Amino acid sequence: MDRLQYSALMIACLLLTLPLEFVFGARVWRQPRRLARAVVPVALFFLVWDLWATNRGDWGFNPKYTIGWKFPGGMVVEEILFFVAVPVCALLSLEAVRNMLAGTTPLQRWIRER
Amino acid sequence: MPIYPVLAVSSAILVVALELLYFRSGLFRSRAYWMSMAIVVGFMIAVDGWLTKLSAPIVFYNDANTSGIRPVWDILIEEYAFAFALLTMVILLWDRSAPAVANETASA
Repeated sequence: MDRLQYSALMIACLLLTLPLEFVFGARVWRQPRRLARAVVPVALFFLVWDLWATNRGDWGFNPKYTIGWKFPGGMVVEEILFFVAVPVCALLSLEAVRNMLAGTTPLQRWIRER
Repeated sequence: MPIYPVLAVSSAILVVALELLYFRSGLFRSRAYWMSMAIVVGFMIAVDGWLTKLSAPIVFYNDANTSGIRPVWDILIEEYAFAFALLTMVILLWDRSAPAVANETASA
């Protein structure tokens, strides 16, 4: 079970931030093309850096806490998950705050209508 | 000079330069951006802290290539610059492809 630690942590981040999409009307997951245009180029840049740094031995991933699925070059699958999950969480938080400040979240509407 | 802090700070400076000289979106004057970054730092301490804690690290570093400065829960100080660069760059690209109707909320 310990080998699921890294991947489970990333999935937990995505599940815990999912309510922001609906309760705070973040509309991040519901704009998949826009999301891909923001996340993919940055993820690719950071994954190249990551690959370079792990091959140099600057940092590495504990085989005890990773599933063991590796891409060519030695990239662990969890690291790809990281560079998708973490930006998605940040965008959800940004859009939730923007809606809060504008008073346009479904939650605020629901409270006003009561 | 250890390479990780040098590259992390360089990437943060590069992203700031991209916003100020190229995107000019006004993101750094946006209250929502700084409020969400404050929230993100809170969650980053939990998640990155769990990933890099020295007692049972999921991600480990070659000490020769880091600053070795770990002020909060074993998180290397350069990780904050790394996270800033990663997330701000994603936000800049996200805002650039905002649909026309979302523009008014983007300036909040």
